Amino acid sequence: MLELYHWEPNGSGLKPLIALHEKQLEFHSHYVDVPALEQYRPGFLKPSAETRLPLEGEGPILIHDGRQITESLFIIEYLEDAFAGTSLRPAEPILHARILAWARFINEVLMPAVSTLGCRAYLAPKLKGFDRATLASLLERVPTKYLREAWQSAFDNSYPDDLIEDSRRKVALGVRRLEDALSSAQWLVGSSYSLADIDAFSICNSLPTLTPELVSASATPRLLQWLARMRERPAVHAALALSRTGKPEQAFAPGAEHARWG
Amino acid sequence: MLTIYHWEPNANSGKPILAAFEKGVEFDSRYIDMLAFEQHAPEYLKVNPNGTVPAMIHDGVLVPESTVMMEYIDGSFEGPKLRPDDPFERWRMRWWCRYFDQVIGPSISMFGWSFFVGPAMRTRDPEELKARIERIPLKERRIAWSKAIYGTFSPEEMAESGRRIAAGVEHLEGALSERAWVAGHSYSIADIAGFNMMAGLPLMNPQVVNDTVTPHILEWLRKINERPAIRRSFALGRTELVKRYAHLDRRSGAAAGGDHA
Repeated sequence: MLELYHWEPNGSGLKPLIALHEKQLEFHSHYVDVPALEQYRPGFLKPSAETRLPLEGEGPILIHDGRQITESLFIIEYLEDAFAGTSLRPAEPILHARILAWARFINEVLMPAVSTLGCRAYLAPKLKGFDRATLASLLERVPTKYLREAWQSAFDNSYPDDLIEDSRRKVALGVRRLEDALSSAQWLVGSSYSLADIDAFSICNSLPTLTPELVSASATPRLLQWLARMRERPAVHAALALSRTGKPEQAFAPGAEHARWG
Repeated sequence: MLTIYHWEPNANSGKPILAAFEKGVEFDSRYIDMLAFEQHAPEYLKVNPNGTVPAMIHDGVLVPESTVMMEYIDGSFEGPKLRPDDPFERWRMRWWCRYFDQVIGPSISMFGWSFFVGPAMRTRDPEELKARIERIPLKERRIAWSKAIYGTFSPEEMAESGRRIAAGVEHLEGALSERAWVAGHSYSIADIAGFNMMAGLPLMNPQVVNDTVTPHILEWLRKINERPAIRRSFALGRTELVKRYAHLDRRSGAAAGGDHA
């Protein structure tokens, strides 16, 4: 029995939704209202010793045989290790290594930047009018300091200029790298679709709306074609159809932390 | 043919080295003297254009990132398994590797650079250092080096790193009080990553890691320190750095005691 706790199909929450559909695994979906901080309210799933420290911010949680699995990319790796069926991971070690190297860049550079820009554009306005006293008591339950501060920034709509500038630089860097990689290939790693495509797509699906000056038919034709190719896949289509707002590409919550140095 | 370009067998450089020795894989060791900036020299940039250490080449192909190199070594060669078979333990191995890479490692290395690399650098010619920094390919590494060289980590940054190390140590002590190894029943690349990051802590942060407060971490470090592969790994060191780990040697009788540290 598989259960997935997730919010809108965007960012880290989108990754396992695509993988579960690709692998045609039955699962019970728990839709979590993340901007209402449902995950910190009494009665919500109690984290395990392993999952009490989130490393990618507000990410999805898979439950399999009573055990919690977190970190969206590692949820897909887990599904690959635990279930037969359509493989999303090439058998050759060098291709797996390249997937993991992309994953580090995506999780430590691109995702924090996209998340910062997305939270500023969409989450902060949504949180206006949130009761301050309720907020204070919920924030106390956020398990790590950086994540608490990321929520606080969204509530205060306070994003320093240098953070925004740095985030734009990182998105531009990521977009350039993806465009380069896709200029000579249909998929990010090797000759077939893999979990690297799921990983990157989940973070990039919002970019044509969020940063149109960086991602467009004229600036990044290959990237746009790849996004379209991804959306044509039945599994990706099914995952995006789970949106309740109708605008998954505008669903943002605090993500992974910006690297502190070097 | 496997070649590993590395600095001291410690932190990130120590990871692929120890994984290869554990696996029983022969490799060509190329020592890159980081304190002489050999990692930014043109001949090295031909190997790894990012100018970061370690780098690994297998049959002419570059394998990126130290944690990734360990998975690659385990997946590509015969020898003892360095990743658990059980999918849940394997997930736990990946979780801890990410935690070491993203949270604990950068905090520990801020201390290491501040107390070891920085002071060693400040004995050099300032003009030469400036030129060296300008030659670094990645912006992030340029910032890191200049902070380390000029000792400009702010007190807040150092305090935050200290807080993270303490929190990470507490988390790891909890895990190791429940099981023998980081991921579960077997020694894995998560232990290799953890040892390479944390083996110096009983000396560098003795009030946080000692026999009284963190007995399970100390036992785990000593157990890994006794493995034949770690002896071979340390033998590749050229500075005093790995001698700092003598405190883990049970025969020396040196206790890592918090009370009198």
